[in-house]
This record gives sequence, structure tokens and C-alpha cells, in this order.
Amino acid sequence: MDHAAAAQISEPLDLVKLALGERVFIKLRGDRTLTGTLHAYDAHMNLVMSQVEESVHIVDVTDAGQPLPPRVERRNVEMLFVRGDSVILISPAQQ
Amino acid sequence: MSGFFGFDAALPERRAADQSDRGFHQSQTDQMFTLPNAREEEDLAVYNWGDMGASLMEDGDDFNDETFGGSGPVDQDFQFAPQAAPVASQAPRASANQPRGPIASTASRYGPKKAFDPFAASEDDFYAARPTAKKPSKPAAKPKAQPAPSQGGSLESLWSKPAAPSPLWGATPSTTSQPPLEPRNSQTGPPPPGQIKSLEEIEAEMAGASVSEPPRGPTVVSLEEIERQMMSGSETQPIPLPAPPPREQTPVAPGLAGSGYATQQALLDSMFPELGAHPPSGQHTASFPPGVQGPPSEPSPQQREQMEALHRHISAKIESMSRYNNLMGTSDKDFITRIQLSQLATTDPYASDFYAQVFSALKRSRMPASAEGGDQSVVKISQNFGLGVSGPTGSRFGKMGSATMQKLSGQVKRLVENRALHQKHSNTAALQGALGRVSRGNTAAPRPVLAMPTTTRAEVRPVNQLNQQAGPRRQPLTRKQVMYALEELYDAMLELEQTRRDMPPPTAMEEVQRWNEACAVKVQVIWQRAMVMEPLDVSNPHPFISLMNAVKGQRLFPRLLRHLPEQQALTLLTLLVATYSQLDVVARAPPPPVADASLLTKADRVDRARREVETDNFLHCVVPGVDMLINQCKLGLVAGLLGILLQRSNVAQVASTRPGVALLTALLSRAQSLIRVPAPDPMNPQQVQVPDANELDQWNKTYAYLLQTLLPHLSDLFPSSIAQKAAFGPGAYLMSGAGDVRDGVEMERREAEVWGFAAALAVNAPEEEQTNLVGALRDKILHTVQAARDPSSTPERAQIKLRNVNMFLNGLGLDASMIE
Repeated sequence: MDHAAAAQISEPLDLVKLALGERVFIKLRGDRTLTGTLHAYDAHMNLVMSQVEESVHIVDVTDAGQPLPPRVERRNVEMLFVRGDSVILISPAQQ
Repeated sequence: MSGFFGFDAALPERRAADQSDRGFHQSQTDQMFTLPNAREEEDLAVYNWGDMGASLMEDGDDFNDETFGGSGPVDQDFQFAPQAAPVASQAPRASANQPRGPIASTASRYGPKKAFDPFAASEDDFYAARPTAKKPSKPAAKPKAQPAPSQGGSLESLWSKPAAPSPLWGATPSTTSQPPLEPRNSQTGPPPPGQIKSLEEIEAEMAGASVSEPPRGPTVVSLEEIERQMMSGSETQPIPLPAPPPREQTPVAPGLAGSGYATQQALLDSMFPELGAHPPSGQHTASFPPGVQGPPSEPSPQQREQMEALHRHISAKIESMSRYNNLMGTSDKDFITRIQLSQLATTDPYASDFYAQVFSALKRSRMPASAEGGDQSVVKISQNFGLGVSGPTGSRFGKMGSATMQKLSGQVKRLVENRALHQKHSNTAALQGALGRVSRGNTAAPRPVLAMPTTTRAEVRPVNQLNQQAGPRRQPLTRKQVMYALEELYDAMLELEQTRRDMPPPTAMEEVQRWNEACAVKVQVIWQRAMVMEPLDVSNPHPFISLMNAVKGQRLFPRLLRHLPEQQALTLLTLLVATYSQLDVVARAPPPPVADASLLTKADRVDRARREVETDNFLHCVVPGVDMLINQCKLGLVAGLLGILLQRSNVAQVASTRPGVALLTALLSRAQSLIRVPAPDPMNPQQVQVPDANELDQWNKTYAYLLQTLLPHLSDLFPSSIAQKAAFGPGAYLMSGAGDVRDGVEMERREAEVWGFAAALAVNAPEEEQTNLVGALRDKILHTVQAARDPSSTPERAQIKLRNVNMFLNGLGLDASMIE
């Protein structure tokens, strides 16, 4: 199975290539996470994803300054372009 | 030489001490170069005409005409590197011809000859000698300057000597744009040709600018100023205005005789007589006739007039051009475009621009009307480079015409080739920006404007990527390994497809031959990477099946099939059938739907959805290919495939999945169409292929075995039955009836697949087995027909139910309407 290993890995993003067409978990700045199918990426980690579920983690603060328990707001997006400068982490979605 | 930008940085007291113990040579050089000290120490506005003039001279004007559109059509072709070269090559030449230190002041320029001339060659030299002799902190420096006129004997040489080098200067046309309105500038020689402004010069220029103003004021009129006035008024008059030709003048200067300077002048004159005999008339020399070096009032009125007109003309031109400052002209835009285009150039324009290419190909195929010959999808830049251009509507580059495109591509080609030629071997371009940070580069390693992708990237293989095990049994590929393998396969596939697209014209036999071979090699690579030839039992799942388990791999399947030769395709099919039960979609088929999705956990739902998607994808991508392959098989092969399937897997389990049903149906219907040879068609005699008895016999046996194995489970294969069985509690009651309409219809569709399979079984079955078949499905048939007739079921669903049952019954010559 040696020839299975001939894939060219010479930079970190070559690993992201393996996730193309797969469901991935993306962590973004601003307390956001995405789960969806990765279709394309580039050197800036701009991403194109489909069937995305975005979760925004919010901590509300009362008038008195007391933080309320964190809540999560979700929305689904069919097709999404993610600008690379907000990407923190890309990982294969947990199976 | 001490000093920072020409200033002596040493402290005054130390300077004095230094000088005491210096040798002759060193003090000489000090005298040559310490001119700026005079200004510094005296703290006065001292104006040194030689110094400032040289620095105020503008140079680098050689291409002014070109820049401002003065001389004919401007060449659009910017060869930046070659353009920079002349400047670089001129500077050394000039310095080689004229031995001198820093170019900032004339003092240093004329310095060397001081060794032979007892008198100061210029005022600069004269003053340069002063500071070494006097105390630094003396405020009253003016009287010291007084001796200048007293050394009147040197004045002759003072005025005539700057003219001596003029043959050399005459070689440069840079005098053209000298603004004549500042007569002060004309007092000194122009800078050497091609001279780049040094820091010293710039500094001197700034100093000169600030210094030159005060003397105009009534308060600070330096003695030098007055003295110059006097000199210009009286002593220079005797010198004839039309200066003698420089060539005659050179030997006249006696102080220069024997000096290196003089010999060089002579040499230069002999080498370039036409430059030396530079006529003092005409616009080009107007500002620097050899004899006009001295007083400001020297130029004749009409010369002045001419120069002023010229200056006005130039400033008017600049004025009119300044409207467009900070705007991009066409050439600027072209430059940007060239850079952008060259960035687009890749070694593989098809693969790196795959989607655009395919999209445009599709678009073009849909617009047959616009099928012109010039429809070109890639501009070949060179052997290995190109860029994709074709959009659906002609040029991808918008408004640019094809002519522009052609021109640009030529230039980009040169740019790219140049860059590729000079690319350093240690190329980090691939890594630049790989992590999102764009490096700026530094002076040691400037960031290249154009980073060419290197064609050969070193392969780095992490060890864990390899499946190191050898031997008959191995661990199945890990998910990561599968992904690696798939990416490789895709790469190879893209390469192959690209090669196929580049088919040479069929007339070129040799090329076609070579092309065929290249394709075959690539197919072989793909074949190996697909790992089909691994032993059947090497792992569970088989490596190839591992590839097919991924959605990506399933999508690859039809593309793979297209390129494989028949034999390899059949091998592939055999492998697939033999290891069918290892497929994820079979081994882990999506569970039957539940009545109430709210009973499921979220993870469950996600998992179900994923498996559904995989199954759909498999049916959509792989099964059609399999169908196609099966439809090329002969009966013996079909029987063999069925046999392998029966032998190597649990048929009941396989048949209870949609992919399994699809495969079995395909095999059965292919066999049926082979057995039931249609009446010989006179039009198409080739079609008449009676399967020979052996094959028929083998098929019948295999089929009998299949039926025997499957018959007990036949009614359990239906999705509704499976769902019923899986349901429990209240869900079981909900199942049968009025669920979601859409789900219901979907369920009936899936039922139809199994009914189709049952029908295929039925038509293949001999008479006696048909009864058994109906017997096994009797309950199911009755139930379905009753449900269809149930008024509570929607008409749409009822219709599908009836059709499903009839599909099976009609195969046996029966109909649902016969059932009471």
C-alpha cells in the first residue's frame, strides 16, 4: 500500500486538503463555530462550505453586570464563504 | 575620510590633535575633503558656489523626454531590468574616468590635481584649506576670506579650469533640462553623466537651499558674495565670451600637465572627438557653454531668452501633466495587469483552474451558435506555463480585446520566463502565505514581486501515513490514509483527464501514438493507486472498498471507470461484487425510519442523515457505473458474479439494503435479457448471441441457489417490513398509517425498488419456483393491495402501492385487480 502514501505533504494546508469534500468543524473568531462540508480553501484559509450550521456562543450580561449563563444561537446556511482571517481552527468533524 | 554626510563628526579639539600627527598624504586628503567643516565651524551662512551648484544639478534626466512624451512614440514595452542596467553601468564608467572622492563637492572632484598645483584650483579648494589652519571657534571668519581676491594670479585658472572637463560632460545630454532661471547653477559644471544622487548630494542640496536664501537678504551678505560680485564685475571680463573649444583649452591649463586628470582628458578627447568638439551653440548646450561658468550675467540675452522659453515650456508641460498626478494611466494599468496575469500563470492551467474550464466547456457546448474556431480556453505562455482565459462569453478578461490579450500574454510570457530563469533554487514561494501571514521580506531577502510556483516539490512523507504492514492480512486503511489515497487519485485523475483533452490531431500518427502511450501510463498509475489488485482478503474492508466508502471516492468512481480498459473494468467490478458486503452502505445501511423523529438523539439524527447521504450518493454515483459494466457481461460472467456474491456475503443482508437490491436487480435483469434472446433481428444479426448451454446451466444453478437462500427472507427485504420490525411501542402502530405524506411516498419509492427486484426474481424463476415466490410474498401482496384500497391512504400513495404490486405480479402474468 506504499503508493497510497505518495500524497505530497509539504505544508500544513496539505492536510486541510484531505478534508475537502468532507464535513469539517471550524472555529472562528467571535465565539463562532461552523460545521459543514468543506469545498474549497486557499492559502489565506478562506473557505467555501456548504450545509453549514453556525453556532454563536453568547454570554448576555444583565443591567447589573451579572453574566447570564451562556447560550448558543444556531443558524443553518446552505452555502457559505468564510473569510480566512477569522478562522482559528479546522478539524475533521467528529464522526 | 571622516565625516557623516561630509560633515566632520570628530570633535574640534580632537580634530586639531589628529592633524598634528598625520602624514602628508592624510592631511592632503583632509584638505580635499573637509570643506564642509568650514561651514560647520564658522556658524555662518557661507556660500560655496562650487559645492552647491554641483548638488543642485539635477541628473537622471536622460529619459525625461520619454517620460513626459517629448520624443516620439513611447515604447510600451517596459523592460525594467534592462532599463535599470544603463544607470548602473554608467556610474562606474564615470567614476573610472574621473578619479575622485565623494562627488558632492567640486572640491573633491578637483582634489587630485592639488598635489601639483600650488594655487587653489577653485574657491572650494581655497577655503577647504582654511579650516585646517585656523582655530575652529573663531566667529569672525570674514576677514579670513579676504585673501581670495589677493591671490589674483589664480583667478585665471579659477575661471578657466571648470571649463576643462566640459568635453567629458558634453557627452551627456542631461544639460537639456537645466532650468536656466537659476543662473547660479550654471556657475559650476554639471554632474557626471548618469550620476545617481548620493546622500551627500542630497544633503548638500538641502543645505544649499537653506544657505542660498539668506545671502539675498540685506543683513547677511557674506564677504564671499561681495567678492564674487567684484570678481564677476571686473576680472572675468577679459576672458573672451565665446570660449575656445575645450580641446584647445585642455593643454592650456599648465597645472594639469602630467596629472592623471589631464591625460585622461586627452585620452577621452581622442576617443570621442565628436563629443569633445561639442559646439557651444544650440539648445542642448545653452546652459553650459564652457566660458559661461562664472558670473550669473554671462549668458547672452538671446540665450537667456531661449532658456527661459524652454523652461516655460517644460514647466507648462509639467503643469498640464500634474492634473493626472496620482491617477493610473494605461501603461500603469497594463503593468498591473501584467503582474496579475503572470500570477495566474501556472504549470497546469487546466487542473489549477479546473472548475472554470469545465464550466466554460459546458457553456460553450450549450451554445453551438457561437462555436468559432478561435475559442481557446488556455493561453500557452511557454512550454510549461499557461493561463486559462476562456469564459463562457469569449474573453475571461472582460473588455480587453483578444489583440490586447495577445500582446499582454507575450509580455507576461517574457516576465514569467525571466522570473523562472532567475528563481533561486531554494524557493520558499510555496510556503509564503501558507499560514495566512503574508511576509514582507527584508533587504537581505526581498520579497519577489512574482513568485513562480516550482514544479518540483519535495515529497515529505510522514511515517504514519504509510501502512507499513506487509503480509497477507493487514489492518484496514485508516481514515487519513484513505484521504491521502483519494487525493492522490484525484490528482492522477486530473492529470489523465488533462492529457486526454490534449489529444493531438488524428492525422499526426506519431503524436497520437505517443499520446496513447502517455494516457496508458497514467491509467496504469491510477489503477495502482486505486489498489484494486490488492489480494481480496488483504483487509476488511478491502483497500479499494475503503476508498469507495468515502463520498469523495464514490464520486470518483464513474470518472475512474471511463478511463479503464475493459479488462481492468471487469476486474474492478468483480472486486466490488466480491467485497460488496464490506461497503459501508451495505454493512452499515441506514436504519429504517422511525415514526417519530423526536425520539432520536441529535447524534443519532446526524448519523442517520450522513448514512442516508452516503447511500444516496452511492446509488447515484457507483450503481449506474456498475449497471453499465454488468450490461456488458456475458451470461457466464453474470453467473460468476452472482456466485461470488452468494459465496462471499450474506445475501439476505446485502439484499436488505438499497445498493444490494440494485446490484441484484441489475444482475438478474442482465441475465434475463441474455437468456430471452429476442427473435433474430434481420437488421442486426450481431445481436443474436445464444448463450451456450454451459453458461446457461451455470446460471440456472446459481439462480436456484440464490432463490433458495433468499426465499425465507424475501418478505423481510421490504423497507416497510424492516421499519415495522424495528418499531416498538406506540411507534409500531403509527408506522402503518398516516405518517408524513412525503415520507410515505418516499417509503413507497423504496418499496418499489424491492418490488422490482422481486419481479426480476420472478421472471428468471422457472414455473415451479414462481409458485414458491408468490407464496413467500403472499402476505406482503395482500397487505399492500389492501392498504392501497384503504380509503384512509392518500390516492397518490395508493396508486404507487398498486403499481409496485403489479410490477411483480405482471412478471408472473397476474394482476392486482385479480385479488379480492
